[in-house]
Amino acid sequence: MTMDATLSGHLQELRRGTVVVASLTVLREAGYGYSLLETLSAAGFEVEANTLYPLLRRLETQGLLTSEWNTEEARPRKFYRTTEQGDAIAAALRDEWARLDKAIGDLDHPAGTDPRSEQ
Amino acid sequence: MTTSLIDRYVFTVLRRVPEGQRSDIERELRTSIEDAVDARVDGGQDRAAAVKQTLLELGDPDRLADGYADRPRYLIGPVFYPAWQRLMVVLLATVLPIVVAVMVVIRILEDATVGEVIGSAVGTALTAGAHMVFWVTLTFAVLERTGVTRGELRGRAWTLDDLPRYEPGFLTPAQLAASLGWVVLVIAVIILQQFAFTEVPVLDPANWSFWWPYLIGVLILEGVYAVWLFRRGAWSRTVAVVNAVLAAMVAIPVTWLAVNERFFNPEWIATLDWGGTDPLAWLTGITICVAVGGALYDVVDVAVRAERARRGLRTPVPGTGREFSAPLS
Repeated sequence: MTMDATLSGHLQELRRGTVVVASLTVLREAGYGYSLLETLSAAGFEVEANTLYPLLRRLETQGLLTSEWNTEEARPRKFYRTTEQGDAIAAALRDEWARLDKAIGDLDHPAGTDPRSEQ
Repeated sequence: MTTSLIDRYVFTVLRRVPEGQRSDIERELRTSIEDAVDARVDGGQDRAAAVKQTLLELGDPDRLADGYADRPRYLIGPVFYPAWQRLMVVLLATVLPIVVAVMVVIRILEDATVGEVIGSAVGTALTAGAHMVFWVTLTFAVLERTGVTRGELRGRAWTLDDLPRYEPGFLTPAQLAASLGWVVLVIAVIILQQFAFTEVPVLDPANWSFWWPYLIGVLILEGVYAVWLFRRGAWSRTVAVVNAVLAAMVAIPVTWLAVNERFFNPEWIATLDWGGTDPLAWLTGITICVAVGGALYDVVDVAVRAERARRGLRTPVPGTGREFSAPLS
């Protein structure tokens, strides 16, 4: 396996799960599939349509999202919104993310070796 | 033209999606595709090219459908794979050769030619092998899809007691099961040959007055011995002596019956036609060899293990390249 393939495999492992947190966070304001895809890629999440669309339905079956068809506009769209339960789970996931980020930072720069003092 | 491309894509996805969700998924998928196409057209792209690009990015429709249906994209997942693989190895490396060997013996007894014997050996290996692989795989695939977890399969979670002991005196649970299974199998064969397999019983029915019940009794004792050894967990001289007595209790009567031509049913012998050779003489010889040879091997094997354990000699642990040295007791 080349270095690039190894890196992309590990990146994929690391990113798995972040789309869930991001989607639950963004959908606190109702949105539809394509709009969410745009928002996420503008925010720097590398997510593909074929993973995101099934994921939204899965989160809906888990009760983390609700959906509603909006037929008022010319093109009817299915709008998703994060439920209370989904919001609670997203908060827990964000906390975990922050904890991991701090833990990794601490590993990278053990106590006493402030990275700023090295420069 | 271009709409038909979207239709083809959407229909291909819907084929593999549960029926109840089809209309909702179709509506949502179509609007999502249209949204993406519009965005590309707004960006100055030609509409036909935009459709192609959008569908290409959505990728393999079967994959998308599996995502919607939330079904596994594998037959046997990591939870069941080790159990499946172990069972497969045991069946194909141990059970299949036994089945083929039994088939070959039956064909030889039926007076088949060399070609016929080879033919049925190959045929049995292929048929029985295919059945084993198919049914085991099917069972595991069903388990995988009904959401049974490994813990449920075993009845409880894994504990430290599940670690094999590797000390030469300890029988593993699998060895205990094999010993007990062997006892049950031989008893079943002794009883069933009286009623099934052949038109006339293979073993002399006159011995039902004493010797066959006696042999069944000794076999049950062998089972008790296996359980005792499993619980005891160490080889010793006592074990070697008990094992030798049990072996003699089987081998001596069987040999004596064979020598006196009281082992096989004369009526069954009369049905055999082996051309110039005398079936009774051959079968008697084979029976004595198996009885005496098997008993000697068993007695020596256990005696050597017991002696090694008593002296605290190092014993290889099979399949690891490591050695275990028993503490002197």
